[in-house]
Amino acid sequence: MPTSPHTLPGRIGLSLILSTYSCLVAVHSESVAADDRVSEGLQVLYEFRGEKGDIVDSSGVGTPINLSIRTADAVERGGGVLRLTGPAVIRSNKAPVRLTTAVRQSGALTFEVWLTPANNTQKGPARIVTLSRDSVRRNVTVGQDGNRFDVRLRTERTSENGLPSLSSPKQSARPTLTHVVYTRAADGQAVISIDGEPTERKKVAGSLRNWDQEFPLALADELSGERPWLGELHLVAIYSKALSAEQVRQNFEAGPAGKLSAELLAQRAREAAAQHFETAVAPILARNCLECHDAASRAGELNLATSAAAIKGGDGGPVIVPGRPEDSSLWLSVDSDAMPDDRPPLKDGEKAILKEWIAAGAVWSLREIDPAVYVHAPSDDHYVQRLTVDEYIQTVQQTLNVDISSQARRLLPPDLRADGFSNTAYNLNVDLKHIDAWSKLAAEIVSRMEVDVFVKRFSNRRKFTDKDMEDVILKTGRWVLRGPVTKQELFAYRGIMTTVAGAGGTHTEAMECVLEAMLQSPRFVYRIEQQRGGGTLRPSEFELASRLSYIIWGGPPDEKLLTAAAEGTLSRQLSAHVDRMLSDDRARQHSQRFLNDWLHLDRLNNLQPNGERYPDWSPELARDMQAETLAYFDEVIWQRSLPLSALMNTRMTLATQRLAQFYRLPQSAAEPSAETHAVAAHTDQRLQKYDLAGIPGRGGLLTQGSLLTVGGDDASMVTRGLLVMHELLRGVVNDPPPCVDTTPVPTRPGRTQRSIAMERISDARCGGCHGRFEPLAFGLEKFDGIGRYRSEDEHGNRLREDGEVLVPGTPAPVSYDTAGELMDLLAESDRVSQSLTWKVTQFAVGRPLAAADAAILDRIHRRATASGGTWTATLRAIVTSELVTGTRDSESL
Amino acid sequence: MTKRINRRTTLKGMGGATIGLPLLEEMRATASLTGAALAAASDVPVRAFNVFFGLGIPAPLQQEGFDGVLEPLKPLRDKLLILRGVDHVRADQNGINAHFDGASAAFTAEAPDGEARAGGPSIDQVVRHAHYTNGLPDGMVPTLNAGTFFRRSRVSRYVHSYNQDGTVAATMQERPRDVFDRVFGSLSLSTGDSDAREKRIKRSILDSVVDQYRFYTGERSPLGNASRARVADHLDRIREYEQRAFHMKDSPKGGASLPPRSRLAHGGAADPGGQGIDMPLEDLVQEWRLLADLYALAIQTDRVRFGSLTFLAAGERLRITGDYRYDGRLVYQFDDARQLNASGDAGCSHEWWHRFNEKKKNEQLRAHAHMKLREVAYFLSRLAEDDCRDANGKTILENSMITVSTESGDGRHNDVKRELSGVFHAITPANGRFRTGGIEDVNAEGIDVYNTMLTAMGSRQLLGSKDHKTQMIDAIRV
Repeated sequence: MPTSPHTLPGRIGLSLILSTYSCLVAVHSESVAADDRVSEGLQVLYEFRGEKGDIVDSSGVGTPINLSIRTADAVERGGGVLRLTGPAVIRSNKAPVRLTTAVRQSGALTFEVWLTPANNTQKGPARIVTLSRDSVRRNVTVGQDGNRFDVRLRTERTSENGLPSLSSPKQSARPTLTHVVYTRAADGQAVISIDGEPTERKKVAGSLRNWDQEFPLALADELSGERPWLGELHLVAIYSKALSAEQVRQNFEAGPAGKLSAELLAQRAREAAAQHFETAVAPILARNCLECHDAASRAGELNLATSAAAIKGGDGGPVIVPGRPEDSSLWLSVDSDAMPDDRPPLKDGEKAILKEWIAAGAVWSLREIDPAVYVHAPSDDHYVQRLTVDEYIQTVQQTLNVDISSQARRLLPPDLRADGFSNTAYNLNVDLKHIDAWSKLAAEIVSRMEVDVFVKRFSNRRKFTDKDMEDVILKTGRWVLRGPVTKQELFAYRGIMTTVAGAGGTHTEAMECVLEAMLQSPRFVYRIEQQRGGGTLRPSEFELASRLSYIIWGGPPDEKLLTAAAEGTLSRQLSAHVDRMLSDDRARQHSQRFLNDWLHLDRLNNLQPNGERYPDWSPELARDMQAETLAYFDEVIWQRSLPLSALMNTRMTLATQRLAQFYRLPQSAAEPSAETHAVAAHTDQRLQKYDLAGIPGRGGLLTQGSLLTVGGDDASMVTRGLLVMHELLRGVVNDPPPCVDTTPVPTRPGRTQRSIAMERISDARCGGCHGRFEPLAFGLEKFDGIGRYRSEDEHGNRLREDGEVLVPGTPAPVSYDTAGELMDLLAESDRVSQSLTWKVTQFAVGRPLAAADAAILDRIHRRATASGGTWTATLRAIVTSELVTGTRDSESL
Repeated sequence: MTKRINRRTTLKGMGGATIGLPLLEEMRATASLTGAALAAASDVPVRAFNVFFGLGIPAPLQQEGFDGVLEPLKPLRDKLLILRGVDHVRADQNGINAHFDGASAAFTAEAPDGEARAGGPSIDQVVRHAHYTNGLPDGMVPTLNAGTFFRRSRVSRYVHSYNQDGTVAATMQERPRDVFDRVFGSLSLSTGDSDAREKRIKRSILDSVVDQYRFYTGERSPLGNASRARVADHLDRIREYEQRAFHMKDSPKGGASLPPRSRLAHGGAADPGGQGIDMPLEDLVQEWRLLADLYALAIQTDRVRFGSLTFLAAGERLRITGDYRYDGRLVYQFDDARQLNASGDAGCSHEWWHRFNEKKKNEQLRAHAHMKLREVAYFLSRLAEDDCRDANGKTILENSMITVSTESGDGRHNDVKRELSGVFHAITPANGRFRTGGIEDVNAEGIDVYNTMLTAMGSRQLLGSKDHKTQMIDAIRV
């Protein structure tokens, strides 16, 4: 098993740490010292250390929820105490969405306060900590009501004001230092503990899904005033879990000055340093230095791609002196613009990052910097995924049992490719044509439905009363919109029903209109997810159901997924659901969409080679080539269940008679084979299986016409080499320098494509890059522009198929003598296998993968490889990874 | 308080500078029929409108006359007859709430036939069929139902004009621009309502879609910045589509722009399951005035002769805030939720009706009822202006049968009989057919009052079953 190039041995990748943070903390909390505070589930922590400025959230979780003091004259600060001498306005600067979302998702919480009340007479209750809008609308409030503490928690079963409340015993609120903890578990059990001991219990039933995310977090009063609390606050902590009795005691014993463990704080510091290197420093090195200072180039014997080599330095010795940028030649050379050589100098900001990194000790958390990881700049942009045309068609088919494919393909603008795929979320724009098409399609879809029959699947209620309309909308909408209908949506759809009723329409007409509206709604045409939460979110069960179904099937979740989501069992039974889904034919069909998109097979529909040079070409042949590749994929991946890398060198194919003749495949190589269902639509002829073992040159994806045509009429070495490099090796080359003539050089007698390529490779200005990718195409030299195998070109030049493969990150190329050897090398390369995993993953998540994803990709690849490297193994690894079961670091409000 | 809006400023206010001349010219041409040019016409059009306001006026408060909540009607007293003691038949259905029951009987005197149909025709439609058996003149909107309402469950809470079979007489126009479109956007709707109806529903669908996309671009959106920007783009495309799909086809040549969107919640957002919504008084009044101006303009320009106008639904649930002034004095400072010390439906103004107690001041209820009557009076007064004179020299208000009614308002749901007793009514003279100038204690069944009115209007058709023996209420007739 190859070692991951990305992470250091024994180290967990940063992204993984971040996305499984709570898990790590949980492990940690088992070994904390007795005087450490509990950190598991911590969301907010105010220790009141500062004497000026905002009250800082020191939880270290996600985006801090700091509080601003707007009435400083009533507040005294110092010594870890916030003293409230009069009515004060102390509130979060923004709505604490991270906190509310975490609590809504867990259904549990803990509010912990170390405090000294000014008296035991203040009432209202006087608000100590509150997450509320005003005196009658809240999520939760911890208050003091005379000599008791009182907690109002809003659930779907309580009033908007969180009533009835739970109060501590009489005389429990006294003007002395007191530890007050309110816990509420997901099952509704609520407990108030005073000084480490539970005092009152009560069941507060109902979910917290109705918590309002807009309510600010405030201390010592309602935002609307009139409920001030006076006294001293020593510590306030909020958790998105119910602390156990032991944990409550642990925090009590830790006292008001208790800290999170030093080990945990140190770990967070290490993580921060690693994150800085991986997201800020490594990209600078990758983009500016590795072109000349990687394992292969080693200009000046300096390799900056790996930690060991970088520390060792080059000809002149070490180039990085941790802690001393002024003694580090790396810094000095970029600061003086001596480096990068022949390239634009670094920007001031980039220089500053390098300097600060060296000054801070030059923490190097990666085993190796892979430039491919940094092709896409890190971005916080998280684009909502619109349904692609394919997904729309599948969703309509599977949700409403209407085949809208021909109309949808005619009316909807095609999805444009970006970063190699047409499902890249950021590029899924919306045009006026989309709006028009969705409107027309919605009407068409509904017109083809037996709406009454459809609706009766969900509800038999047919009256225009609130309850009846609610029932039918909620149940129908859950299916059509792939998850629970929100109140706002309910109101909107009920509004349509009442509008229809108000116009004298029938219930059937009303539901037709509701369905029409649903089909145009954001919940239908987009995959809406909660994206704002400061980086601590996990997908809801319904979001997970949609993620799974669109990744594995390219369509909506089925009833089993939705039921599991509704029951809250989906994430717990993820593996079983994934297995079931992968055995469904929809998974197989969707894999074909991946292949078609990845290799851009649709371009064959528009290919028009020069008719004089290639009189054998025809649109039918193009379709045959597309069908061949799809059928080959189906055979290798699904029929034979081979690893993805076997696509490189499995020496068989499925071809129509027309294509077989074009390839000059002998009939003796043909095997009896039934028409392959998955590709039947692509060609007018039956596909026949051919054994290519004895066929020179052929065998593997790269030797098929669908891919060979990428080189154009001249069978460009550049284009073919770049195809192999980008799609299979994830190699990175910069654009040609300015002023370089990139006009293709024609062949002639005595001058082949190979000899022209060698001229480029020998040129000092070009060879650094062309030497990396053109030799990858040497093995395909005997295939002409449309994929026909020959030994000589049209000028009578003899052609060869030997060459070299330089795998990115390796110091030296590996030679091969034949196209078959090249295919074997590629098939056996872990880099190729890893690249295929990356490609499938990118298609799965619908966005380019960046540095933050690298560690997770490594894990996915290792898991997939360990399970055979097949399509199903890869998909299983992807959908059970943090990329799917966690939410990407999302922004805060 | 919003400025009074005349015909021209109404259009300017709604459409801004892009209102085209052709529309104004076309409207002036029509409007002139109601002015001097129409003086030559021999007939005064028969018109009938139902004006409804939610929550009602408790019978005991009606006894205070114009010194109490009826004060805003005082300036129109010479053109109105206030009817006290009008009782409705038991209109309730099992499981249906009393607000709905009471409102269903308004103008029909019948129990409803389910949630979306009345038990029979409304009086305006009976009059319409009596006088326009073969349809209204070309280019006229057969019936205009409009109103501002936020309680949407069950149609007869807010729709107050019904066909003979109890179905709604016309699609409810709930936004000012809907009224604008319905009346002035299309000129050939008199022979059939199906296109307009379909378009109205399509727009309702689109509006609901717009609202949802708007939500995902707003502060409460779960989406991050990039996604919100993407959805905002989507929203822009929808608006562009909306203009092209609806507005451009509707506009007269020269193009009047679609009036701006209403600032108030409409559609489903207006009624979050009976939980009520917050409502600044100024916003509500501004919308009411605009709607009233448009409705009055529709009558003035003789585009509309029948229909209904609704000022809040039966059982309306709003949490109103703001200073209410009348005749230069501060009547009350609304702040329902705070004064009720409650949120959700329990913080809505309709709680004041449930809390009504004859022995108490009922200060809040009085203020709310007073305020609604002020708005009703505003609408009526628009039809009493000098440029609203018909051929006989009387104003439209004087020549029309305008019936103002409401639900009971006593809040005594446990006593349906009382709930439906003493329902406030007011009627206009209908070109000299009814008495005006005072308050009449009719103490009669609503069906008899209505049938008396219909008889006076020349209708042979009366409300109720054949078995019902109508007692004519002579006191209301001249």
